[in-house]
Amino acid sequence: MYNINFTKYKYFTLSFSLFLIIAGFVVTFVKYGGFAHSLDFNGGLRTVVELPADKTRNDLEGYFQSKNIEAVVILLEKDKNIYQLDIGLGSLDTIESLYNEIPEVNRESSTSAIDRFVQLLRYEYKLPKEKVLSADQVGAVVGGELTEVGITLLLTTLAIILLYLSIRSQFKFALASAIALVHDILMTLALIGFLQIKPSVPIIAALLTLLGYSINDKIVVFDRIRENSHGKDNLAFSNIINVSISQTLGRTINTSFTTMISVVAIIVGGAVELYDFAFVLLFGVLVGTYSSIYIAAPISEIYDLIRKKRFV
Amino acid sequence: MQSYRLLILPFLILAVSFTILYPNFADRDLKIVVREDVYALPEAEQKILVNALFERWAKDYGKSSGWTIEPTGTLPPKENPFYTVKGRFITSAKINQISQENQSLVSESKNKLEPTWIETAIRGGKSLSIKLGLDLQGGMRVVLKGDFDDYTSKLKDLYAKELTELNLTLKNPTTKQEDKEKAKSRLAEIESSFDLSPMRKIVELEKAKMIIDNRLTTQNLTEPQVRIQKEQDAIEVSLPGVSNSAAILEILQNTETVEYRLEEPNPFVFKGQIADNERRMMDLGKRENTDIFLFQDLVKNKAGKKAQDEFLEGLEKKYNIPKDYKVYAMWARGNSAKSALLPRSFVVLERKIALSGNDMTNAQPSYNSNSYGWMVSFTLTPNGAEKFFDLTSENRGRNLAIVWGDKVISNPVINDPIAGGRAEISGSFSEQEAIRLANVISEGALPIPLSVLEMRFIGPTLGIESIEVGVKAVAIGFFLVMIYMIFYYRLGGFIADLSLLVNIIILAALLTLMDFTLTLPGIAGIILTAGMAVDANVIIYERIREEIEEGRALSIAVTRGFENAFWTIMDANVTTLIAGILMIRLGNGPIKGFAITLCWGIVTTLFTSLFLSRLFMELTVNRMGVHHLNLRPFFFGKKETTNV
Repeated sequence: MYNINFTKYKYFTLSFSLFLIIAGFVVTFVKYGGFAHSLDFNGGLRTVVELPADKTRNDLEGYFQSKNIEAVVILLEKDKNIYQLDIGLGSLDTIESLYNEIPEVNRESSTSAIDRFVQLLRYEYKLPKEKVLSADQVGAVVGGELTEVGITLLLTTLAIILLYLSIRSQFKFALASAIALVHDILMTLALIGFLQIKPSVPIIAALLTLLGYSINDKIVVFDRIRENSHGKDNLAFSNIINVSISQTLGRTINTSFTTMISVVAIIVGGAVELYDFAFVLLFGVLVGTYSSIYIAAPISEIYDLIRKKRFV
Repeated sequence: MQSYRLLILPFLILAVSFTILYPNFADRDLKIVVREDVYALPEAEQKILVNALFERWAKDYGKSSGWTIEPTGTLPPKENPFYTVKGRFITSAKINQISQENQSLVSESKNKLEPTWIETAIRGGKSLSIKLGLDLQGGMRVVLKGDFDDYTSKLKDLYAKELTELNLTLKNPTTKQEDKEKAKSRLAEIESSFDLSPMRKIVELEKAKMIIDNRLTTQNLTEPQVRIQKEQDAIEVSLPGVSNSAAILEILQNTETVEYRLEEPNPFVFKGQIADNERRMMDLGKRENTDIFLFQDLVKNKAGKKAQDEFLEGLEKKYNIPKDYKVYAMWARGNSAKSALLPRSFVVLERKIALSGNDMTNAQPSYNSNSYGWMVSFTLTPNGAEKFFDLTSENRGRNLAIVWGDKVISNPVINDPIAGGRAEISGSFSEQEAIRLANVISEGALPIPLSVLEMRFIGPTLGIESIEVGVKAVAIGFFLVMIYMIFYYRLGGFIADLSLLVNIIILAALLTLMDFTLTLPGIAGIILTAGMAVDANVIIYERIREEIEEGRALSIAVTRGFENAFWTIMDANVTTLIAGILMIRLGNGPIKGFAITLCWGIVTTLFTSLFLSRLFMELTVNRMGVHHLNLRPFFFGKKETTNV
């Protein structure tokens, strides 16, 4: 049996995590002024165009990148080379100035953002009118409502988990699990903000998945700790934690590994639009595993220490 | 639980699951119905439409899809006016796309995916194929807002007469105190019904949702989803694959009602006044100034319902019609059956609704050869039949008007009391009108008028390419995980893989049975399920290995391994289940989709990992005579010694 002292570094890992979370949020809000804009959350412009056969997704993405327009390019139909272009609200000014650069003869005066964007596209790609299949200014699919529901949901879920785990095992494990879950969510949100990943429906799915994974992971570790602490009051709690983590380490590594296989397959497979989803999930699995060992377990130990001090 | 007999259970479940999933993989027939009016077109125009269809067909579906279409290149015969498409994996998006691309040829509302024998047998023809959400295939989203002001004014009409009577009773000095109290409380009761609490609004929206559901089902539109947005008093309708369909929108919003109202008693004082005035105008040669002529103009110029309502209200003022009555137009055709349905005269009906559409069901249009017109016959509900009998016995000699929407379509005299609960409406209907009226009666009218708050085309969140690649990646991922499990846990890994496969199959069947619509978050939920199912087996095997290492006999080690792991797996899954149930209750859209798959996934995982895996394992160890179970990876594992 391996004998690693996992809890030795508890103050380091706890402050390290706290630092990363704060740093992530500071960068997000100070440097970028918040999370990235996305069509799903903020609304924006959406057009569907049929491009000439020689134009590819890379051409489109290259064009938008060079012009500094935030765009998501989705290939809708391969055979007909039909693309859906989603433009975030953040790029409206850029589009307006580009529109003003179009030679007068080639543009009709227009005030609506979506019209301007369509004219810009048609000018750049020499598209006849009928190749622009649809153009809408769309509202958010999810958004304010979801954020609100999300927070309520998270808090209620945490409360229920606290209750269930307190009844099933001990309050310290319940508390530690809940804090670790919050840690995982915050950490992932910090990453999403830090890298300015566009929040979207797939990203929500990834967050929910990592939440489920993380709960699972914590319970497995804590169940073992609880089992090992039966009738061993004389043993230092940190020892029990270390032994338990070592005992479940094989399982932890195996499960993280198998979960990551599927996620990595998506990243390597090259489904462009699923890349963010897989990336966040991959990070989430790592954070979830890390937090079971280095956040949840130490917190339960600290709680234990504080309580014992009080009663001595 | 070591009996071979128990194996029947998983086999049974698998057989049922495969049966349920069969329609997803089966070769199916799709009927694409040609519009009736196409056959009336000149041949050259028919040819253009047919060519357009087959050009698109050859380009989009001909090569790769493996679908066939019959008849090819021509119009189907008039007596069987449909193309039959045969193939696998015919999706709603594709069906709707074909219709939309050929709108002048194809009657969108009649297309039909023929049910497979399984669907006919266990679902009465209702589809059993897995449905894809808007985020996976794109489509149209319409948000319809309920107009509750209009709703209350309609309610007030319903109680109009009773309200005046009650007020009279209260004012009457001879009324007994006891009766006054009764009247007061009844008054309060009625008035409270005009006050729409959020709860009431939801109930009305629920009713509207059911009716919309029904209407969409009769449209044969594939996989529409209807849900209520509580925050906005609105109903959201998602139509996958539909890009723009005004016809469907009209059907959704149609708030037409059918109701019976009594006409003012004979002699028709108010109707007489109006008619007298009209006659006077005619005599003066001012035909174009008569009210009925002005009203016809409004209709012909498509001025809209609001303008018509205002005009009729204007008439009520002009002729001093008392509050208990309301002016309606009587609509009819001119001399020939083909002339337009137009308002022909005015009638004055009681504001009180004598019998509402809710009292009628089961309407059928039929052709009446005696009068060469279409009529609609229907059944009354038991309650309605009683009301109808009372109504017809108490009001012999009076006229009972049938109001469809805001048109009076027939106004017969009550000759005898009508019992038996069957009745018919004859008006000068065309076939289409008769069908529409029958639909309104059968499905019920929308309780609240709905206006379009938002209508937009939704692109899929992912492109076709990403879905293909994604599905492939997930499949490869699964495969690698299964290989890894065999590599790591050998025979145990194989058993785990087996139970994982069974797990996913049962889950898919369950979701199909529940008419679940698969969305991207839903897929994420399935991936998590698979992950947790693998994890459950990993926990169990680590426990078994520990027991073996402590020197226990294999069969005991297996039993103890499962027992030790039981509560860990339970705790982990139950906690996740609680979180999932909360997400279903509180969340919406993407969160809900995820949570539903997750919750059912937990149920199937508990079954497969705690029951199936154990059954397989114990049978292997105790019955099949496997005495050495090595749960260490190939190459790395030290030789395990087990005591038999």
